[in-house]
Amino acid sequence: MSKKWLYWFEELNSGHYELVGKKCANLGEMTGLGMRIPPGFAVSVDGYERFMAETGAGELIRQFVRENSDELKSVKKQMEASRVIRKIVESQEMPPDMTEELYRYYDELKQRAAADEIAVAVRSSGAVSMPGQMETYLNVRGREAVVRKVIEVWGSAFTTRAIAFRIEKGMAMEKAPIGVAVLKMVEAKSAGVVLTVLPTIGDTSKIVVEGNWGLGESVVSGDINPDQFIVDKQSGCVECTVNRKTKMIVYKDSGTATADVPEDLQSRRCVDEEELKEIVRIATEVESYFQCPQDMEWVLDHSGSCPHNLYWVQARPAKFSKPMEKESEYLAELMTRMFKC
Amino acid sequence: MKVYDVVPGLEFDPERDFAQSPAWFLDGTHSVPPWTPMFGWFWINFCRHGMQYGAEKLSLPTVKGWDWRFHNGGGYLTLMLVNSEEEKKARETEFRKAILPFIEDYDGLWGGFVQEMLGRYENLKALDLPEASNIDLLQNFEDTISTCRRMWEIHMYMMYGTYTAYILFENMCRDLAGIDDTSPEFHSLVSGFDNKVFQVDRRLWEFSKRAREEGLADLVVQCGPDQIRGKLEESVAGKGFMRDFMAFMNEDGWRMQRMSEINLPTWVEDPTPALVNVKQFIQKGGGFNLDEERKKITEQRKAAEKTVLAKIPQEQRGWFERLMVLAQKSGVFSEEHDHYLDLYTHAMMRRSALGLGNRFAQKGAIDRAEDIFFLIPDEVRRAGLNPDQFDLRYIVDRRKSEWNEWQKTPNPPAFLKEGFDLEMAMGVLVRSMDPIALKVVVGSMPQVRPELKADLYGTCGSPGVAEGTARVIMSEEELHLIEEGDILVAASTSPSWTPVFSMIKGVIVDRGASLSHAAIVGREYGIPVVMNVFEGTTKIKSGQKVKVDANLGVVFILDK
Repeated sequence: MSKKWLYWFEELNSGHYELVGKKCANLGEMTGLGMRIPPGFAVSVDGYERFMAETGAGELIRQFVRENSDELKSVKKQMEASRVIRKIVESQEMPPDMTEELYRYYDELKQRAAADEIAVAVRSSGAVSMPGQMETYLNVRGREAVVRKVIEVWGSAFTTRAIAFRIEKGMAMEKAPIGVAVLKMVEAKSAGVVLTVLPTIGDTSKIVVEGNWGLGESVVSGDINPDQFIVDKQSGCVECTVNRKTKMIVYKDSGTATADVPEDLQSRRCVDEEELKEIVRIATEVESYFQCPQDMEWVLDHSGSCPHNLYWVQARPAKFSKPMEKESEYLAELMTRMFKC
Repeated sequence: MKVYDVVPGLEFDPERDFAQSPAWFLDGTHSVPPWTPMFGWFWINFCRHGMQYGAEKLSLPTVKGWDWRFHNGGGYLTLMLVNSEEEKKARETEFRKAILPFIEDYDGLWGGFVQEMLGRYENLKALDLPEASNIDLLQNFEDTISTCRRMWEIHMYMMYGTYTAYILFENMCRDLAGIDDTSPEFHSLVSGFDNKVFQVDRRLWEFSKRAREEGLADLVVQCGPDQIRGKLEESVAGKGFMRDFMAFMNEDGWRMQRMSEINLPTWVEDPTPALVNVKQFIQKGGGFNLDEERKKITEQRKAAEKTVLAKIPQEQRGWFERLMVLAQKSGVFSEEHDHYLDLYTHAMMRRSALGLGNRFAQKGAIDRAEDIFFLIPDEVRRAGLNPDQFDLRYIVDRRKSEWNEWQKTPNPPAFLKEGFDLEMAMGVLVRSMDPIALKVVVGSMPQVRPELKADLYGTCGSPGVAEGTARVIMSEEELHLIEEGDILVAASTSPSWTPVFSMIKGVIVDRGASLSHAAIVGREYGIPVVMNVFEGTTKIKSGQKVKVDANLGVVFILDK
């Protein structure tokens, strides 16, 4: 029997970074913490490697690299290489036994979601940080489409920047420590992010929640002016800024599209008080579990009521500007000077 | 046998003490009316220790904290200055490092101390006093002494560090944005923050809403302060109300009626003051919304932040904003430390002392449990393990009659060496650059502007203008006399006064600085506060119509 390469999230935890990539390992860890995440499974790095070996794509890439090794140093050539390698990957068919297994997991996922037909997100899950955006496909429907998108995510590991990075680090070109997450899409009423630190000034006494109607991508991309709620961790006191939200991202037949927010929703807060409390409660718990400020993505489902409609799709350590040492020292100096008069 | 001094080694002794310092100031905020001997012993010993500890831990360049003496129930204090330039230089180098934790992780620092103290309180409360052995009771008392000592270390270290940041912020606002701490804009910048004391107020307000919903409002309003509890206990709804109210008291009622004394019950023992607050909220009527009121202040602050930041040159904004955040924490700290430190520790002192007091009274060492407040720890220790073997009543009697004498004659505001006057003494305080002297004790001196034809001149604690009936309140016991729309006139205010701020239209205090209680709470409730008028409580009579113009820092008596 061949090596296991598909995992339900509940089988994973943060020890599985190298096996399934950070995103999947985190989703597993989040499941273990009792956070509600959309049901789904992970495609491990072994799955990628098996695909590359069985289809011969790995050999084709190696061959291409051997033939072009000298020229690959130029950026222009790297752009071309990206195109060629992605094509090599994406033009392969998934081996039949792998397809079978993916179908089996997908069908069970439908059962778990208690639905005949479900839409899933197929997301890349890198094990080491690789520069360049790897693809994420939303609103994928049907088992054939899922198989196709998994291959496309693998292909997306070969962006120009990622190729340049491999050359710089002397990494084998066909290697891509990349996992894939396949998870049920939540019918998003609203979605957004929560940070357990004010990133601009590194104030860890506050939590900031940002959200918009529809899918969370509009908030993550920073294209719109989301609602913002700044919550004081100790007192629970909230500062609300409700902005006019004219655009949102919604599903269309396959994939997503930008749509207008209905007039009556534009100036309404997209998270009610109870939902906000629940988001903050979970975020605080996760932060104290990991002992470091978190950057998390949440989704509120159309159906169901709080807290059952709250799903989490991401939790990772927050990047924030630590109070700059120089600034601290400057302030200390100003305070010292104050005593001289 | 010789009866000890109340605070052995720290009783005021003019001959020796004037040689050390020419001016000793009465701590009017905390030691008027005069303290009981036990409370005085704790305060003089440990507040003194804490102030010196805080100054030393931070290595404040110009001061080494304060020295304290006890005189007839009053606390007298004087600054200890760094005298040589060489030592100042050395301390500056240390200070630059020592202040960093405040800048880098203020919340972690303060939060850690709060947790440490709450842990200590839980340990102290874990002892079942009536059932405890004499050994455990005495141990509990010893632990309380060390808790009080630790509390003052944290208290003064935090206060010195916090207020240093605040003063720098004031200076920078003046230098970079052209606004000083008497301007309304400055006050908007540092208000609109939640804190533990407000959360307690909010609970009281919620209980007032509940009383109205459950049809208990009329009953509460018609009762005198002492009857509220009893009347409520008579009905089923009222019983349920009191049960939840007492659960709330057990959580947040570990505070004293008078902030700096232990001879009055805590809210846990006697919830009357808290019930009076509920009654006052009921009297404000259903239209009053505490949350809405607070929200307005927060919005004003955000607007002020934008205006002020816009005035700061772009390249300076980074550190300025961080300094602003730090300064804004000063107000929160000022209120919260009272709750977590002073009030709670004092409640623990009362609890532990009464535990022993009851045992002593049972065994005949003293007549009544409360008599223990007339003993000092060494005397308590004498009878601690075998109270049946000792008769301490002769000490209690003597101290009690002394204490009664102290109540009759007020302590003088300062002891000054011959040839030294109050103005010179104030000058020393200001030049010391001691953050506590500047922001709590002295404040800014009022400017008398005759062209305004005002009756009292003070400084702005919280901006605004209001007119109303003056109500002169000299102590916590008189707080229930305050009516909706009054202008409060007092020597100074403390945290147990906070709830009445939602009823009054303005405040006039004899003494105060921008980080004293009246100013902070006035700002949070958006009412004008005029401070440092010195003679408010003597010149104004209850019932007179007065006009407070805090923007100008003046008071007009309208019907003389």
